[in-house]
Amino acid sequence: MSTRILTVEDDQRIRTAVRLALEEEGWDVEETASGEEALEAFSRMPADVVLIDIMLPGIDGFEVCRSIRRLGDVPIVMVTARSDSHDVVAGLEAGADDYLRKPFDPKELSARIRALLRRIRPDEGRPVHVQVDRLEILPDAGVVRYAGEDVHLTRTEFRLLVELATHPDRVLSREDLLERVWGYDYFGDGRLVDVHVRRLRMKIEPDAANPRFVVTVRGMGYKLQT
Amino acid sequence: MADVSKTDDASRLGLGVQISVLFAAGGLLVSVLVGGTTLALTRQQLLETRGSDAAAMAVSNATRLSNQLTPESSIEDLPTIVDSLTRIGGSQRIIRVGDDWLVAPEMDRADLPASLVARLGDRRPGQMLALVRGQPRFVVGIPLAAFDADYYAISDLSEVEQTLNDLSYVLLGTSAIAVTLAALLGSWTASRVLRPLRRVREAAEAIAGGRLDTRLVAQADPDLDRLSDSFNEMARALESRIQRDARFASDVSHELRSPLTTLMAGVGVLKSRREELSPRSIIALDLLVADLERFNRLVNDLLEISVFDAGVAALDLTDVGIARFLEVTAANAGAVELRMPDEAHGVVVQADKRRLARIMSNLLDNAGRYGGGATAIILEMDDTLRIIVEDGGAGIPVGERLSVFDRFFRGSTGGRRTDDGGTGLGLSLVVEDLRLHNGSVWVEDRRDGRPGARFVLELPLPEVDA
Repeated sequence: MSTRILTVEDDQRIRTAVRLALEEEGWDVEETASGEEALEAFSRMPADVVLIDIMLPGIDGFEVCRSIRRLGDVPIVMVTARSDSHDVVAGLEAGADDYLRKPFDPKELSARIRALLRRIRPDEGRPVHVQVDRLEILPDAGVVRYAGEDVHLTRTEFRLLVELATHPDRVLSREDLLERVWGYDYFGDGRLVDVHVRRLRMKIEPDAANPRFVVTVRGMGYKLQT
Repeated sequence: MADVSKTDDASRLGLGVQISVLFAAGGLLVSVLVGGTTLALTRQQLLETRGSDAAAMAVSNATRLSNQLTPESSIEDLPTIVDSLTRIGGSQRIIRVGDDWLVAPEMDRADLPASLVARLGDRRPGQMLALVRGQPRFVVGIPLAAFDADYYAISDLSEVEQTLNDLSYVLLGTSAIAVTLAALLGSWTASRVLRPLRRVREAAEAIAGGRLDTRLVAQADPDLDRLSDSFNEMARALESRIQRDARFASDVSHELRSPLTTLMAGVGVLKSRREELSPRSIIALDLLVADLERFNRLVNDLLEISVFDAGVAALDLTDVGIARFLEVTAANAGAVELRMPDEAHGVVVQADKRRLARIMSNLLDNAGRYGGGATAIILEMDDTLRIIVEDGGAGIPVGERLSVFDRFFRGSTGGRRTDDGGTGLGLSLVVEDLRLHNGSVWVEDRRDGRPGARFVLELPLPEVDA
């Protein structure tokens, strides 16, 4: 069964052109014209990836993003026509895994989708089981537990945590994490890392404001503190 | 365009200096008048007092002399009599008895003014101010009525002159002080008067520097208040106009993004089906692809420029390791040599990485289009941080080294912009991006004597953070 992509875009010409381009890359595309339509389609049959335009009539892209996030950990890509950074951060806070600016190259969109769907890279040096304090990470099983309870992470949050857990106490720069988790080069947007770390902390830290596990090393990056 | 302010004034002095000079000149005039009058009046007063004293003394002496003289008295008897007469300091006397003259130790009869001697010849007393032996002196002559004798008293006025001299020094000194004070008062007044104008100037400079929301505060003085009202009105109009223009450019760019998205997705489909197309269609597709790319960059650059013009460009500062940044930049740029000092590896700057990357890509792009490709990226550090991009092209003529950063600048080679694929905005974006970082950019000749341009970016070096 091929990968299904759900797109939400109110501009009919863009919607059609993007569908054609994505189908060209071998994806199955289901297109919707509004947030309401998208939520209805998603609850009928969850997609593997969701592509959401922020500017929508009716319920906006942020709200669609939050609603879909509540339904599952499917990778979400936000599309924005605006260039101010407010939209980007708000979209990521709403639960998006990555974002693209209009106009985008369909090849680039496909590359983003592939990166988000990527499995954890097999790594010889990766531990099978990492236990820090009451936090337990099982990379291969895709499981994270805090105090024995399963913690529900999105795919991207999980990969971020596993990258940090693979090298406990070693600082990974934003650039390193962008490359390992999102497949971006050095010039990727560091805010992706920052917002995802924030989201991760909300889920695994007893006190997100004073992180115990994922700590910021000023001027350098992040590390998993044992 | 109406140019209201035109100075054809011969004096290039500022208003402030002019006011100070006027005050000083006024001070000087008053001092000279007061000083001169004081000196003249004092002199007259002193001379009159001195003259009447001397005259009274002379009359009394002449009377006593007359009383002690007898018709038999000869010139030999005189000194004893004279010694008994009252003297005032510095006065001398000359006495004629018959044809004999008793002269003073330092004077003789030739020193007496001829007109006075002649007057006494007529047996009339007289007094006058005369220059005797090079000094002004007061000479009194009294004929002794009972005898054929005259009494002359010559009083020294050097004391008066000395007093007047001292007085004039004092007056000169006070004049100098008065002039200085007047000048200071003038400059203080000027600064007071000019303060509102200075505020206007500062506000105008602030607006010119991009702070469009600058306004003048209301003034207490009604005249000045009208000025600040008009100024604020102008600033408001300017601000709304600039913002309207910027918003328009921004709206246009946003509106263009939707059709561009359709175009890029559509062209993407055609590209992946390239082999199904006829040779003519392939040529058409390649044209589409190339110009779509350029159109896309143009829209992006215009949008960025409009953000700068609206004054809403924001820095998204992160820590950027400058060595790694340049290594990646140079590696992406292909055959570009990277030279940097070893100590660069520890240097982390606070910068907007996206903008920094765009600065470099615009410079490298520019070198690729007009300079035959960048040959080297060089990092220099002393009290500032300089990133230099060198190319091996023809270089930039001296006359174009500023205008090359203008929007849509066309070089002297004329029209080369038409088919080079550039947007014409790259270098002006470099300037804006650097300004946001408090940096600057300029272009010069290569230092090694080879032809080629050398674009120098200068950034403030960060504080060393422990």
